Amino acid sequence: MHTFLEFIAILAVIVGTVFSVLGVLGFIRMPDVYTRLHATGKVSVFGVVLLLLATVALTPLEFGKGLVLIVLLVIGGPVTSHAIGSAAHRIGIPMKRAIRDDLAAIEQTPPRDVANGHMP
Amino acid sequence: MSDILSLVLNIALAVHIALIAVCVWRVWRGENVVDRLIGADLVGTLMLAVLVLIALIWLNAAYIDVALGLAALGFVGTIALAKYIADQQMF
Repeated sequence: MHTFLEFIAILAVIVGTVFSVLGVLGFIRMPDVYTRLHATGKVSVFGVVLLLLATVALTPLEFGKGLVLIVLLVIGGPVTSHAIGSAAHRIGIPMKRAIRDDLAAIEQTPPRDVANGHMP
Repeated sequence: MSDILSLVLNIALAVHIALIAVCVWRVWRGENVVDRLIGADLVGTLMLAVLVLIALIWLNAAYIDVALGLAALGFVGTIALAKYIADQQMF
């Protein structure tokens, strides 16, 4: 049984490291902010979560904390990526080789009057 | 702990530290501000992976607690910086 759990841990560590390497490679090679964001989202959701699965399989002492950290990463990673992407689109960072942009037609934000304390 | 598991963990630790160096270089020579923000977030995530690997190698439970704190604070910090970039004001 212990050998089987160790085999699972080795497999999870190798696959998580491969996901991290591919995510950083995409972060370097991708042409655009949005595509880079798409590549780096994989590092937090797959790379670190697989390492934590190895931790949970290997040491039964860390069962609860590892699962809490997995839940925190799976919930927090997409929220972070969405916030960064929304900020990039709001300040008008262009997309490379994009055919159409539906969000720019939808947004049409009216000019804000921050002086009167009105937040959109 | 068997021998091959220790070897795999040490190699993974070295690879993650090299990836952190690449991301820091990318933050230094970034194209725009959002690119650097993505790089900083990625450095935090990879540091989380390094902490988990150190906890596995040394079999010390305290590093998992450090990873929990780093995950929570990094999440809040990245959300706050994204809002600051989008609205040009924090509150």
